[in-house]
Amino acid sequence: MPETTIETCVPVDISDDDIFEAMRDIPGYLDITPGDFKEVYLKAYQHALKRLARSITVANVMNRDVASVREGAPLKEVAELMAARKVSGVPVLDDKGQVVGIISDKDFLEVMGAGQTDSFMTVIAKCLLGKGCLAAPHHARFAKDIMTSPAVTVKPEIPILEVADIFTQKKINRAPVVDAEGRMIGIVSRADVLKSSFFPEGV
Amino acid sequence: MNYFAKMRGTTKSPPGVGLVEIVWSWLGGFIGIGAVAVVEAYMFEGTDLMLMIGSFGASAVLVYGAIKSPLAQPRNLVGGHFLSALVGVAAFKIFQGQPILAVAVAAATAIAVMLATKTLHPPGGATALIAVLGGEKVHALGFLYAVIPAAAGAAILLIVALLFNNIPKSRRYPEFWL
Repeated sequence: MPETTIETCVPVDISDDDIFEAMRDIPGYLDITPGDFKEVYLKAYQHALKRLARSITVANVMNRDVASVREGAPLKEVAELMAARKVSGVPVLDDKGQVVGIISDKDFLEVMGAGQTDSFMTVIAKCLLGKGCLAAPHHARFAKDIMTSPAVTVKPEIPILEVADIFTQKKINRAPVVDAEGRMIGIVSRADVLKSSFFPEGV
Repeated sequence: MNYFAKMRGTTKSPPGVGLVEIVWSWLGGFIGIGAVAVVEAYMFEGTDLMLMIGSFGASAVLVYGAIKSPLAQPRNLVGGHFLSALVGVAAFKIFQGQPILAVAVAAATAIAVMLATKTLHPPGGATALIAVLGGEKVHALGFLYAVIPAAAGAAILLIVALLFNNIPKSRRYPEFWL
């Protein structure tokens, strides 16, 4: 699959005829062909996108109202919280409020018998085949037992363009935002980045 | 793109200009070249100097007919003529016995020097050639050729361009100075 980058985003499909008409609106001889102008326009558009994306930082788009759990929280509580907040992942904090890991629904699937690459449906299938169901043995376990640690965290001042790269490289969907002391102050998700990249006025 | 496919071209030619623009351009060219001719006729008579060289006709096309062009801006107009003239005189002096090499080096080096100094001005190529081909009177000037006629004539064209191109509402000059 070709990688999606900001360069591949094409603006309004401006035609050579549009440029020709615009050049006619300007009196005097313009020393450029419509084709060259179009090339300049497209490149300028990409630069503008990058500039806008660079000017928006994590602090602008992050969600400050984060559901989180302590290391010692029982898995039952973690699952209940994720269900109640309708989120697919929660950061795990230590006593000082520092992020020590993150739990996503994938971590639950994994301990319930799915491999790294298996899906929710794999778990259902195994369950229906009667190979033992699944959540029961994990009753007594805690957040720190299944969390992914250390968690990938980001600083509030970095541009969301970089966050998008981090998400792509690390194949993650969300990252806790931490201050200089490592304390969590928010969370940023793929959806936050996407919404703000292309509709910056909505921030 | 394929080598031969490139030769087909990729885009359409830019639009032409209206009659008003043509009239203003004619008038600008008339006054600009006329001014150089007048100064030469009244101030240079009886001297060994000259002010009019053929390349100013090409400059007039740019500074009165395509005034928005980067090639027509003051830096390019004066810088292009001055530097190309230096190149032309040097080429003549270095390759005195080899006229073919002298003209080729003069034009080519003028292009390179103008590109390197952001002063690209096509008439500069002609100014460099004239330094080699201009005959006894030009050769006698030596490097003075770069100041008079090259830079001085360009300066007159520039003054006229500044005064004239800013009269009509639809025109303004220059786009930039340096």
